[in-house]
Amino acid sequence: MSDVVDEAPPTAAESTQVVAAIAEQAARPGWRTRLAERPTIVLAGVFVVLYLITAWKDDSLFTEGGVRSVLLLACPLAVFAAAQTLCMLTGGIDLSVAMTANLAAYVAANQSGSGEARALALALGVGVAVGFVNGLAVGVFRVNPLIMTLGMASVLLGVMTTGLRGWLSGSVVVPDIVRQVGSEQLFGPLPKNLVVWAAISVVLVLGLRSSGLGRMIYAVGDNQIACRLAGVRVWQVLLGVYVLAGLLAAIGGLLFSGTTGSVGVDQTNNYLLPSVAATVIGGTSILGGSGGYSGTILGALILTVLNRLLLRLDTSEAFRQILYGLVVLALAWLYVRLTGQKVAEGGG
Amino acid sequence: MTAVVQTTMPTPTSRLSRFVQRQGWTVGVAVLLAVLLFWRISQLPKFEGFEVRTITAGTMSLAFLAMAQSVVVISGGIDLSVGPMMVFANCLAVSWMGDRGLGTCLLIALLVLVIVVALATLTGLIITVSGVPDIIVTLATGFTLAGLALFVLESPRSGVTPDFQRVIAGSLSNPWPSVLWIAGALVLVWAPLRRSRLGLAIFAVGSKRNAAFLSGVRIARTRVLAYAVGGLFTGLAGLTVTAVTLGGEPRETIGTNATLNSVAAAVLGGVALTGGVGGLLGPVLAALCLTLIPAIMLGLGWDPSNADTARGVIIILVVAVAGLVQTRRRVS
Repeated sequence: MSDVVDEAPPTAAESTQVVAAIAEQAARPGWRTRLAERPTIVLAGVFVVLYLITAWKDDSLFTEGGVRSVLLLACPLAVFAAAQTLCMLTGGIDLSVAMTANLAAYVAANQSGSGEARALALALGVGVAVGFVNGLAVGVFRVNPLIMTLGMASVLLGVMTTGLRGWLSGSVVVPDIVRQVGSEQLFGPLPKNLVVWAAISVVLVLGLRSSGLGRMIYAVGDNQIACRLAGVRVWQVLLGVYVLAGLLAAIGGLLFSGTTGSVGVDQTNNYLLPSVAATVIGGTSILGGSGGYSGTILGALILTVLNRLLLRLDTSEAFRQILYGLVVLALAWLYVRLTGQKVAEGGG
Repeated sequence: MTAVVQTTMPTPTSRLSRFVQRQGWTVGVAVLLAVLLFWRISQLPKFEGFEVRTITAGTMSLAFLAMAQSVVVISGGIDLSVGPMMVFANCLAVSWMGDRGLGTCLLIALLVLVIVVALATLTGLIITVSGVPDIIVTLATGFTLAGLALFVLESPRSGVTPDFQRVIAGSLSNPWPSVLWIAGALVLVWAPLRRSRLGLAIFAVGSKRNAAFLSGVRIARTRVLAYAVGGLFTGLAGLTVTAVTLGGEPRETIGTNATLNSVAAAVLGGVALTGGVGGLLGPVLAALCLTLIPAIMLGLGWDPSNADTARGVIIILVVAVAGLVQTRRRVS
């Protein structure tokens, strides 16, 4: 146990030594510092190693079909994780992504009879509406995001289960365009949903880096009070973030239902916790203010391949889950060690 | 000649205002509970031992879990693995108890408690040593624990001796054991704890970690012990599930839902997610409220699915109102 209090205060000589050591390190960055500055390299390395290990157990990963299936499965996870990344950059979290996705996909399938455009618009509208309520509560009424989105998930579950016997009743057919995007291939090993994912990636990576809202998201996540004092309308930034998160959740839900060809009350719930895990493994701090989407992409890919590896290993479901948790923990720990993103333990 | 600066003595706050400030929230939840209880009683043709026992036994596991979550949240952390941990304790207990007699079952229960406390301590150690945020660590250990639950009990099983139920949750029309266990945990574990050095340290670490550190509180130790205490309550929750259902089910969604409910009950019970504020009585009362709401809605003839909606809306509204009240208090 690291007991902070027991450490003796450093003497003057020791302090000078420490300062000198730090100065030396700053002047001549070692490999660790260099890696810490570009954590995506570490993640890419982890991904490649994991991919090779998996391919050693499962040769299909070197075929077109194998690559395609990994991308197909990673895509909804990466889109959910995109919503999670945005929220976590502001120091929040969105635990309603899965239920938003379920409801949006269901609405789309329910409305597909009256035109695809209308179905899609309504599905995305569900996402925006949910995000708007979340954002209003978090930004204006200062409800804790964890509680707000948790409550929202509960509300959506209730709305959806009762809706199935009322306004959501009737035939459900996954719209053709959703099915095509979710299951057909573009060319070679690339599935069509990669186009959606790529578009989202470009917008998020560039937008977070160079748009006004993007910079503001980092600022709000880093220090909300300073932002408010500097004249940033924090509530508007938070509202925007949660609306975007709701929209992304709806898109993720559509992609998933396109791939599986199904809709259901809880079909994407298994993606909720992995979406948080992918974001964290990708290096976005849950405390806000640091990280980005490029890491999250790798996080989603790593988790997908890990899942595949665990499925391939001839073990029980129980053992797979145990390993999954341990690997997620180990990756998060490794990341913190490498980048020094450690949570201050006290006095710091 | 030096100017004499006169400072007025601060007027001591009245007992009443101190009580309102400290216990106001708990009293509010108690009033809410009383209203809900009267409502429920008015729905039932009779309200005797059986009806009371249905409510208390049905609430026990959530109450214990809310206590576990509250201790950790008060210490400034959060534990998303309480649900899976509860399911694991349940499954472990069932797999060992089989159809053995009461004496053996009680020994096994004790052993399960020890194991769960050890695992919770380990979680706390990982959090403090690694520096990975608690949400992430407990998220990951939650996966692992759900796997462990499946590992010790592959499929749902029942058949634990009804004697065990009689001792922990009470037989069909006897609500006293369930009430006594909860009250016992509050009076015998929590009340002495919060007055002890450790209890004070937990509140100090939760409310301002740096200030606690500078006052000589051992941060890491306190946080780990808070998780250990949480583990004790989580273990009790698992044993309660075992006693009430007389079986075990290693389903992952049970754990996830239980975690969410425990956070909801803690927050409704007046424990601030920022840490350092609250107690355990409030969350227990809130847990009772949360179990009563679906029952009342069912009694009204509503679709039980609306209970999910109602619960979500109530949680959000309460937290929003509490936030507004706190903001006003800070301004004035």
